[in-house]
Amino acid sequence: MSLQILINGLALGSVYALIATGFSLVFNVLKFSNFAYGAMMTCGAFFGYFLSAANGWGLVPTLLVAMVSGAVLGLLGQVIAFQRILNNNSSPIYFFVSSITLGTLLEGFVTLKVGANFYNYPRFFESSTFKIGSVIISKSDAMMFVLSAIALLLLAYVIKYTRIGRALRSVSFNRDNASLMGINVTMIIRLTFMVSGALAGLSGVFLGINYTLYPTLGSLVVKGFIASVIGGLGSLSGAVIGAVLLGMMETFLIHLIGSGYAPVVTFLIMLVFLLVRPRGIAGSNVQEKA
Amino acid sequence: MALLISILTSTLITLIAVIGIYILTGMTGLFSLGQASFMAIGAYTSGLLVVKWGLPFPLACLIAIFLAVLVGWIVGLPTVRLRRDYISLVTLGFGEAITAILNRATPLTGGAAGFVGIPPYTSFTLVLVSAVIIIAAVAMFKVSKFGRQCSALRGDELAARAVGINVPWIKMTAFLFSVAVTAYSGCLYAFYTTYVDPSIFGWRKSADWVIMVFFGGSGSLTGAVLATFILSGLPEILRFLADYRSIFYAALVLLIINFKPSGLLGSWELTPKNLRKLARDISLFMKKGGKNA
Repeated sequence: MSLQILINGLALGSVYALIATGFSLVFNVLKFSNFAYGAMMTCGAFFGYFLSAANGWGLVPTLLVAMVSGAVLGLLGQVIAFQRILNNNSSPIYFFVSSITLGTLLEGFVTLKVGANFYNYPRFFESSTFKIGSVIISKSDAMMFVLSAIALLLLAYVIKYTRIGRALRSVSFNRDNASLMGINVTMIIRLTFMVSGALAGLSGVFLGINYTLYPTLGSLVVKGFIASVIGGLGSLSGAVIGAVLLGMMETFLIHLIGSGYAPVVTFLIMLVFLLVRPRGIAGSNVQEKA
Repeated sequence: MALLISILTSTLITLIAVIGIYILTGMTGLFSLGQASFMAIGAYTSGLLVVKWGLPFPLACLIAIFLAVLVGWIVGLPTVRLRRDYISLVTLGFGEAITAILNRATPLTGGAAGFVGIPPYTSFTLVLVSAVIIIAAVAMFKVSKFGRQCSALRGDELAARAVGINVPWIKMTAFLFSVAVTAYSGCLYAFYTTYVDPSIFGWRKSADWVIMVFFGGSGSLTGAVLATFILSGLPEILRFLADYRSIFYAALVLLIINFKPSGLLGSWELTPKNLRKLARDISLFMKKGGKNA
């Protein structure tokens, strides 16, 4: 039984890890919390849903569509909501407001299209579970875990070992310095938003498969936020660790006290974490520069 | 007339909540995306105290505000020493937790179906008087030492710390002040609509309030008041556009942020001195026939 919970927790944690990483990526580079992230998840999930339902596509094209539309949305969002603020070098406060407003805008479009209805993703597998020993694993859980792991490892590789990754890290360290070193900062920021959007689309589809699709699906993004707070704001590895921990704790709590009060307990855990180790698990120290 | 009064009453209740946000976001530069859940605490606590325990309305309001401040203190405790992002993320999580509690504690709160049977004690006069008093209080706070410390913190946290301002203390005080005001608007709300349910207090609502403060002018109390009347009255005017409302609203705000980042009024306040200056500018403008302006 406990192994079962562990495995379910891992699968849930891997989806939270996608959310938290996409969110942390933008935080890492621009040092602000992108509150439009939830709405981007919802949009990606719905793009994927409508295209796959209309054309009878399988899982992989759906995921690709969701990722591409997420990336396009990320780019559009950057151009519409953040580019001018960046150009003016305005206070970070404006990023907050802009991202909140962008989220409202995107969610408004989704509501306009789908109303307040609920949608179910088509079932992508004939038999939904398989068994290893006494442990029952649902195929969608296994797939979520594997695909999230691949996506995150790929991202980690790109950030750590490629030229673009190095540019991204230097932009996140200091925008002006990076620009002096000949890095096209605007391009890197746009790329960050695109990657973050693609991750949003991917996690949106997973959430849609796991729960149902509805216009305020984006509120599940709170889990990603909590995960990145536990892991340490702005730290990518911290986000993943925090997310996996959160997923496990949540599965365990649902098993223990039911799904209703689980958000309360996870919130309390977050508060305790902040009291005990305010910088988060990974301990990345995001300082405001004078 | 009755319709106008009811629109005005609900706008004024929103105004009180927006003033709460103004203290936090406009004056101090912090964001709370769970502020609506403090409104929920105010609404539910005062409602329960009156309906189930038969307490008088003013006492119930006081207890509700006290409880909200206490909860706010617990939420704020680990966050005020950290970067400002933490307060918005933690309050966002807090909002989720409150919604979960309200949804689950069915015997007490009526769960998702809502809490009914609150007596309609909130009158237009009460709301108007409360709004005027709160605005006056905040206007006074803004020019006090506390207010100036807040705006220093808003400008640059590090610099504020360097000149000896107790940053965590200022953050906490501003947060609790704003929580108290928001909780009071929750009390008024519950006794005005006589019905509350958890879905009204989501993070969208908190976000809307933040947007209103910025729409009016990020550093202007007058702007916040003006924006509440515009953006809260706008939905009534745009009722025929029901579905497009939130899109229109968001697009409007994005335009403002992109092209006039300081909001409608910037940091201009409606004071006798500024008013005289404005009048002088206008008369100068008229004399010159608008040529040099």
